[in-house]
Amino acid sequence: MELSDLSAHELALYLRQRRISAVEILESCLKRIEAVDGRPGRLDGGPLTVEDEQKVHSFITLTPERARAQAEAVDRKIAAGEDPGPLAGVPFTVKDIFCVEGTPSTAASRILANFTAPYTATPVARMEAAGAVMLGKVNLDEFTYGSSNESSAFQPSPRNPWKLDRVPGGSSGGSTASVAAGEAPLSIGTDTAGSIRQPAAFCGVVGMKPTYGRVSRYGLIAFASSLDCPGPVARNVTDAALMMNTIAGADPHDSTAANVPVPDYLAALEQGIKGLRIGLSPDYFRITYPNLQNGTFETQPLPAEIEASVRRAADLLAAMGAEIVEGVPMPNTRFGIPAYFVISRVEAASNLHRFDGVKYGYRTPEPMNDLRAMYRQSRGQGFGAQPKLRILMGMYVSAAQYSEQYYNRALRVRTLIRQDFDRAFDPQGPYRLNALLTPTTPTTAFKMAALYGDSVLMQYADQLTVPANHAGVPGVSLPAGLDGEGLPIGIQLLGPDYREDVLLRIGRAYEEATETDPWRRVRPQALL
Amino acid sequence: MTMTEYEAVIGLETHIQLNTQTKIFCSCKADSWNDAPNSNICPVCCGLPGVLPVLNKAAVEKGVLLATAMHGQIRPLSFFDRKNYFYPDLPKGYQISQFDQSLSSGGYLDLPVPASASPDGQAYVRRVSITKLHLEEDAGKTKNAGGQRFVDFNRCGVPLVEMVTGPDLRTADEAAQYLTRLRQLLRWLGISEADMERGNLRCDANVSIRRKGETHLNPKTEIKNVNSIENVRAAIEHEIERQIREVEAGNRIFAWTLEWDEDAAVLRKMRSKETEADYRYFREPDLLPIRLDDAWKTAILAGFPELPLERRARFIREYGLPEYDAEILTAERKLSDYFEAAVRAYGGDPKRVSNWLMNDILRMLNDRGLTADQIKLAPAWLAELLKLIDSGTINISTGKSLLQKVEESGLSPAALVEKEGLAKVSDDTAIRAVAQEVLAENPKEVEAFKGGKDTLMGWFVGQVMRKMRGKADPNIARQMLEELLK
Ligand SMILES: [Zn+2]
Repeated sequence: MELSDLSAHELALYLRQRRISAVEILESCLKRIEAVDGRPGRLDGGPLTVEDEQKVHSFITLTPERARAQAEAVDRKIAAGEDPGPLAGVPFTVKDIFCVEGTPSTAASRILANFTAPYTATPVARMEAAGAVMLGKVNLDEFTYGSSNESSAFQPSPRNPWKLDRVPGGSSGGSTASVAAGEAPLSIGTDTAGSIRQPAAFCGVVGMKPTYGRVSRYGLIAFASSLDCPGPVARNVTDAALMMNTIAGADPHDSTAANVPVPDYLAALEQGIKGLRIGLSPDYFRITYPNLQNGTFETQPLPAEIEASVRRAADLLAAMGAEIVEGVPMPNTRFGIPAYFVISRVEAASNLHRFDGVKYGYRTPEPMNDLRAMYRQSRGQGFGAQPKLRILMGMYVSAAQYSEQYYNRALRVRTLIRQDFDRAFDPQGPYRLNALLTPTTPTTAFKMAALYGDSVLMQYADQLTVPANHAGVPGVSLPAGLDGEGLPIGIQLLGPDYREDVLLRIGRAYEEATETDPWRRVRPQALL
Repeated sequence: MTMTEYEAVIGLETHIQLNTQTKIFCSCKADSWNDAPNSNICPVCCGLPGVLPVLNKAAVEKGVLLATAMHGQIRPLSFFDRKNYFYPDLPKGYQISQFDQSLSSGGYLDLPVPASASPDGQAYVRRVSITKLHLEEDAGKTKNAGGQRFVDFNRCGVPLVEMVTGPDLRTADEAAQYLTRLRQLLRWLGISEADMERGNLRCDANVSIRRKGETHLNPKTEIKNVNSIENVRAAIEHEIERQIREVEAGNRIFAWTLEWDEDAAVLRKMRSKETEADYRYFREPDLLPIRLDDAWKTAILAGFPELPLERRARFIREYGLPEYDAEILTAERKLSDYFEAAVRAYGGDPKRVSNWLMNDILRMLNDRGLTADQIKLAPAWLAELLKLIDSGTINISTGKSLLQKVEESGLSPAALVEKEGLAKVSDDTAIRAVAQEVLAENPKEVEAFKGGKDTLMGWFVGQVMRKMRGKADPNIARQMLEELLK
């Protein structure tokens, strides 16, 4: 086993014990990247070669010099007997939607390809302050708009390490691919409708969307500001907890970052789950979507393997002392996607206004005499298809004459979805749940190019994850076995506000219960 | 038809820069007057990717003071919204503003219109309603030079209150009076420098006309880019006359946006606005609502001052001051505070204090460029000085010269009188001796006086006073001279 395959908490421990150095860890990760990642995504990336199809392509920008300087600083601190921080020497990757001072911060878009950030996002700054070593910026869907990473303007886009003809999911696909491939034990992603949990499920890693406001958004290039949550991607629950300890908490730069005390997520991790009430909802075992021909809703059951993995998890947790509550109604789940379509696009269109060719980023090279024409050309050439779709729809549904029937209605739906969770988690209510156990995704990773372009169907892939974004509650996706094709299956735990600690505890218990499962020994294709 | 058969309907839209230390959503310095372009900027106010606004509470507090002074209803919960439009001086492509649930709703100002600004020469009061009062961020500035467009972001994020009146004003003079009173109020409350030339206070005027007696509103024009109260008055005046001419000629009034050209004193039609009509307002998700709970509100309003118009009325009522005096003494809060403190310390006739203030102290303030709280001659010392005069210890001219001496030395009037021996000499023999001296030295004048030139008496008194460096009691000196010249 190589250092790059060890978990973050093991690396941090061995480093403190001076059994390994930060530079050694870094070298191991860089070696792994060299071996499996292939060429980084870039603008006008050209046609895919056969070799490209055998590589992961997590990165847009690798920053080995910066990483080496950080690793050497950690080693110096240790040599000097100073406290190097709880994540000292642990490499991590950063979804390229976060600003990091002095590095290109592209949002995987042509319009920001030349933008170098002059400041560092709070979660990244906290990781570095804790001694973690940033390896670079990883790929994503353009401006996070997608579920496969294929919409990135930086090609080749990431591939799923488990099966290289599959997508890694998205939009935090570069994050989950880099962690699954052992390029780094940790990554920072963002989750607006499932953008951490869905790729985590697809790539067989742990991905947590914290409570809205638990982790600062400062420095995160906004998609839908009222839904965006930065969160950890890791290979196990303990590492996710370790990372939460570092990135969670109030921030003077983000007034929506909650001023709620941060618990020690590691402290309660091994306490077991005796007496916890864990719910199952029929509304999370099917996908409901509108028939665009006649306007009715149609329902599809989930694949049996996926439902079975959730049922098995429930049985295992019950055996460990949890109380399983069946039949919890979450009736507004099916409205999550339509409401998300409206809210996210209104916010996205507004958030994209600043990319106008005036101050930074792409400006059309053609000389322009007219300001309007300069805007049109710069934005027309700089944005890819996905941002353009979101601008069009966002502008449409927020127009004065439509906002009542779309935007305001979507906000009311959002309140209803929140009420579903309030009822399920109400300590005085009929269900009194500590967590809801669900599948993360309706399918395992789909083939590259299979869904891209069919925006609606791709978005319905988020139906089981987006309600937590509407409601603001925390959720975590855990690897829960492999399907018949050898692709990872994810299960999801959703909990009340600020109870990430409980979700992580349940997740850790589930890890223990499945520790000897054969699938836990299977290595992803990219590492064979 | 003549002008008198029409009335103007005027509403004013003001943008008020609040004089906070830092900007509304970041910690950059708010005041960039005379600073180089783009020297007070940061990632937040330049709208870099990923930044978030953090509300400066001082802006809310100043907004609450203004809303209270305008009799607005402060909302316990108000929200920020995004006003979306593209312009190079707006780095985020949206302005953080307030839309339907702003800081305050309603309100009014009872505007006294003096006789001098009244069409029929009679003073009256016009109630001006407030239809909008909200907080927002200022935008930057652009300019064209050498075929290029330049942007200065220094002003981005300076806190603004946008305050809009109902269509309640009827003359250009009323509009000017409103702005004068607003400027006075803003300075009184200490919430804005309110300098129109510097853009601290900006005003757009909506103007329409109608026949007297009509109640509907006709299409209005909007006058922009006026940078002094006098220019607002002149521009509105011009526009009213233009509209009457158009209507009299049988033409329609179109909803133009007009720009005031100060040098030519004419209104010009502006290029149509480069912004979208639909601003697609929605709640700003990056900011929490403003929760003005009772504790915060109470803390903000603790020590809320008596307002200038109230104080003006009270000065007339309580101290029997003429309107003229009350107006001047309440033009500025510190001066009016000074007046009241001096009146209290003095205990005598308030009008006497007023006279000294308006004649002497104001001149001293102007000459030295100071405000009433900055001079060494504190209200108690002015009172002391007046008492010294009242008691006959010093005469008026000594009193007047003492003002400067107190200010320069920092010593109290009584101490100076003591130190410099300025007390009036009422010793008859000393004055008689000097009077004899004066007469002996000026035989020609004595001759003339005796020849019937009575007016020379004043000159003789003056000579005695001069020799005694003003310390003589002039009444006694006159008495002596009259005796000696008999
Ligand atoms: Zn700033």
